[in-house]
Amino acid sequence: MNKVSRWTYVPLALLGLLFIIPFLIMLGGSFIPMKVPSGNPFLWITEEHVSLSNFMYILVNAKFTKWILNSLIITIIPVFSQMFFAAVLGYIFAKKQFPGKEIIFWVMMAVIMLPSQLLIIPRYIMFSEFGWINTYWPLIVPEIWSILGVFFVRQYMQTLPKDLEEAAHMDGANDFTVFFKIMLPMSKPVIATVGTFAFISNWNDLLTPLIFTTSEDMFPVTVGLASLLTKEGNFGVEMAGSVLSFIPTFLIFLFFQRYFVKGIALSGLK
Amino acid sequence: MGNSNLSVSGTAPHPAARPATRAFKMKKHWNKYAMIYIFLVPILVHFSIFHLFPILFSLYITFTDWPIIGDPKFIGLKNWINFFSDQLAWKAIWNTILFSLYYIVPTMALGLCLALLINTGKRGTGFFKGIYFLPVVTSFVVISGIWAWLFKGTDSGFINSFLGLFGIEPQLFLSDSLQAMMVLAGLSVFKVCGSTMIYYYAGLQSVPDEFYEAARIDGASRWHLFWKITFPLLMPIHFYVAIITTIGSFQIFDSAFLLTSGGPNFSTTTIVYYLYQEGFTSLRLGYASVLAYILFFIVFGISLIQKKALGKEVNYK
Repeated sequence: MNKVSRWTYVPLALLGLLFIIPFLIMLGGSFIPMKVPSGNPFLWITEEHVSLSNFMYILVNAKFTKWILNSLIITIIPVFSQMFFAAVLGYIFAKKQFPGKEIIFWVMMAVIMLPSQLLIIPRYIMFSEFGWINTYWPLIVPEIWSILGVFFVRQYMQTLPKDLEEAAHMDGANDFTVFFKIMLPMSKPVIATVGTFAFISNWNDLLTPLIFTTSEDMFPVTVGLASLLTKEGNFGVEMAGSVLSFIPTFLIFLFFQRYFVKGIALSGLK
Repeated sequence: MGNSNLSVSGTAPHPAARPATRAFKMKKHWNKYAMIYIFLVPILVHFSIFHLFPILFSLYITFTDWPIIGDPKFIGLKNWINFFSDQLAWKAIWNTILFSLYYIVPTMALGLCLALLINTGKRGTGFFKGIYFLPVVTSFVVISGIWAWLFKGTDSGFINSFLGLFGIEPQLFLSDSLQAMMVLAGLSVFKVCGSTMIYYYAGLQSVPDEFYEAARIDGASRWHLFWKITFPLLMPIHFYVAIITTIGSFQIFDSAFLLTSGGPNFSTTTIVYYLYQEGFTSLRLGYASVLAYILFFIVFGISLIQKKALGKEVNYK
């Protein structure tokens, strides 16, 4: 359908407006000083005093910097380890032959189909035994690799031509050389996809940290912001908190959007 | 004599050569499987501890009375039997189904519309694609924070002040037991339809051009082209998107927790929200595990349908 008139821009723009308005409200609201308590747009659009006071308020009164730091810790570590393990295991499952390979892979694929909520209660009991409640461990250790990531890389590496690796093996290169010098560089896009997925899902996760962290000092930004939302009742302050917790995902979105889109198109599962 | 040399090579290897062969074999084995020993084996241990064991363990938990503090007590099938007479559990399932009804079709329809729009290939569609996709990467917490003010049930809420311009009375929205679930579904449509758009966009791009050309020569209108060609050809995508949005809808938790706390009058208590309540507010881990299994059965049932539906894939050619 190539012959589409200029009128296409009308619905494109109207829908675009609909999608962007909530974000504009968030951004605009974050600069409205706290003394205006109402969300009524006709009250605050006319507000002349625009200031950073909401941001100052949450940075001083709420433990926002600590929450951001916690989120960074429980996100960055899994992002890099998931990329690494997805690459290595993707390579192993795509290119190596070993006993039990098929069974192991399909057990993993079966497990990924289970709703993650099934794991919460047994893990809670286990992590209590380990003394992990209210530490970073339950938010990092189970996340150091992801089945979905392995699946992505495996699918991708299976499509790569065999010539290069075969030639390298002929020249006496071992698996490590083949992996690090040939397969890894060729798989950069899909590994970036795995990293982007890991970032977004860990940064945005609410239920897991809600259960495994109980003290304010250990909250990631999702749980912290959620506690702020129930407590504050102040529009400007809430929006300032939302803006701060939104910025990292927005940056990832700006720079890695195409990898994320690719991942969605790739995933036969999520 | 030269003979001795020949005889050595003809007979069994010298005893001293044997360990060397074994070492050679081990080295060869190591070369072949080193990566598996170094990387796969530890990951399998991790997989067993953090995935396989918890799944089996949670089945055991369903047979116990397990308060968070204190020792578990084996009670057999009691939790399972309790489930069947638990009015609130059935209400939670019904609420979740209701949520799916409000959520699935709009998400698919809007996702398809967005995909059709960006598939026109006009200049700037990439920019709009980015905007439609933005909510997908944004957390439920951020969107819920905004939604709370949009749908505040007083005249200070955004939507209500907007409706007020047209003389429409303020709506209760989140504090109304009928409207609350619709507001939550609306939030999810807004958040998810960007990814539905991507699936449809990928599908649209794989539809061969010849189909349209042939039909256009026959003088078919664009409306016709869509309903007679595009829509049926997207059948595999429809199936796939329907299944994943359905599975996703049964796991809805974040917005029910953040915006309504399951209320008013339990009208937004979804399966996962009820599970969370039972497990971590009422501290009944045994019963909450039963709910987790019920959720699993539902999702598993949907996945089976998925397998069947994807089995009869539609071929373009």
